[in-house]
Amino acid sequence: MSEVLRREVVYLVTAIITIIMFVEFFFIGTWSVAEELRTWAIIIANIALGLGAVRLLAEHVRNIQRRRAGVWSFSIWLIILFVVMFLSGLAGYAAKHDPSSNPVYNWLFKWPYTSLGQTLYAITGFYIFSAAYRAFRARNIDAALLLIAGCFVILTNATVGEVIWSGIPVIGRWFLDYGQVPGMRCFLIVAAFGMLAYGFRALLGRERGFYGEVAGE
Amino acid sequence: MSEELTFWEKLARIDRRVFYWILFIGLMVPFIRPLGLAITVSPSTRDLYEELRRVQPGDVCLINIAFGVSAWPECMPATAACTKLLIRQGAKLIIIGPYYDVDLSYEELKRRCAEDFAKLKYGEDYVYLGFYAGGEAVVAQLASDFRSVFPTDAYGTPLDELPMMKNINKATDIRLVLSSDTGDWCSYYIRQWRIPYGVPLAEIGIAMLGSEYMPHYRAGILFGMSVGVRGGAELEKLIGEPADATIRMDAINISHILVIIAVLLGNIGYFASRGKRR
Repeated sequence: MSEVLRREVVYLVTAIITIIMFVEFFFIGTWSVAEELRTWAIIIANIALGLGAVRLLAEHVRNIQRRRAGVWSFSIWLIILFVVMFLSGLAGYAAKHDPSSNPVYNWLFKWPYTSLGQTLYAITGFYIFSAAYRAFRARNIDAALLLIAGCFVILTNATVGEVIWSGIPVIGRWFLDYGQVPGMRCFLIVAAFGMLAYGFRALLGRERGFYGEVAGE
Repeated sequence: MSEELTFWEKLARIDRRVFYWILFIGLMVPFIRPLGLAITVSPSTRDLYEELRRVQPGDVCLINIAFGVSAWPECMPATAACTKLLIRQGAKLIIIGPYYDVDLSYEELKRRCAEDFAKLKYGEDYVYLGFYAGGEAVVAQLASDFRSVFPTDAYGTPLDELPMMKNINKATDIRLVLSSDTGDWCSYYIRQWRIPYGVPLAEIGIAMLGSEYMPHYRAGILFGMSVGVRGGAELEKLIGEPADATIRMDAINISHILVIIAVLLGNIGYFASRGKRR
């Protein structure tokens, strides 16, 4: 099959699926054909998870083979832990139909993974703190307005704001209700129209980004 | 030769490590002396609470745990408070999650609501269906056919063998959905459950999602919202059981005050040294 024909088949399949989903959502409610297609999508998503794991391993094996500076030692750790998690999880599943019934799997997930995950997330607070100091400067009138609104909203989110002055949450909520909500609403509506336009372009075969092409080429 | 910096210029260029230490020490304060400031309840949290209070015994509610362990401090307190409330209302719970570490979050949720879960019987009062992959497509599929996504629960028991799931297979069988997430999952439920089937939906999210979902709440699409740790603390206050989020509000208060002070210092330094730069 030539490359052009193969591409056209992809566009045709995309267009057909788009039409089916569109018709189901707006005219039918629940349609068995659309349900079947979604089941395929779920199966493909699950296969993609496995494929992602294989791809991850392949990438890190390559790092080790090439001794990539600053990376390959971490790749060894990744592969060791991957194998330990995979085998212990599999053992737990085989024994009691539950991976976490294996003590090794459970311990690794419960203690190192949980603590590290929460630590990494918490560290962002330190970056935000120093970034606020460096970036939040009233360099012009727009930045000054943003700064004032930001300070009120920050103090509204913390209960200490109303302890300092009872008017702070009132002003902060005003900024949220009459500044942020309409702004976000505009953004969401515009994004929805953009999605519609994208859908129609995909339907007409003009949106080819998902096939690795730039539109119009 | 480098020019000597004035006091104001130094104030505008404080090393970031100084701020890291200030924040670190500041966050230690509540451990030594808790502030325990009063918490007022925002309208979005109160609406969430009020709707959960209207749940009748036997109503089936879906809890979507769409956050990983890293977001436990923000999302778990509110999720736990809502779960406690639903159990006390006599609701039956279906718990699912699209994160690969959802097993951990489910166990943690059960640990935090241990007294309430102890009164329930698995399969009759609650079920745990576990992890699901597939993004918005799987949320759409859940709305029309639960069994095509979850033929069994997380432990391999077919759904038809679970008494609670006998007549449950689609969105309209569900009284309400609580989407507790750090990303787009609530949007998926809005598009695939709330709009086509009218299933009541609420968001329990990280603070950052407050701005994203507030327009939906204000438009009546979401019946309530809990925003970040503050939302969790408000719910803990409403159910009368102060817990993790109430304690964490102290850290939130101190860190927010420090941010305001840092911003003020930066701006004072910036304006005072501006004349010299000109």
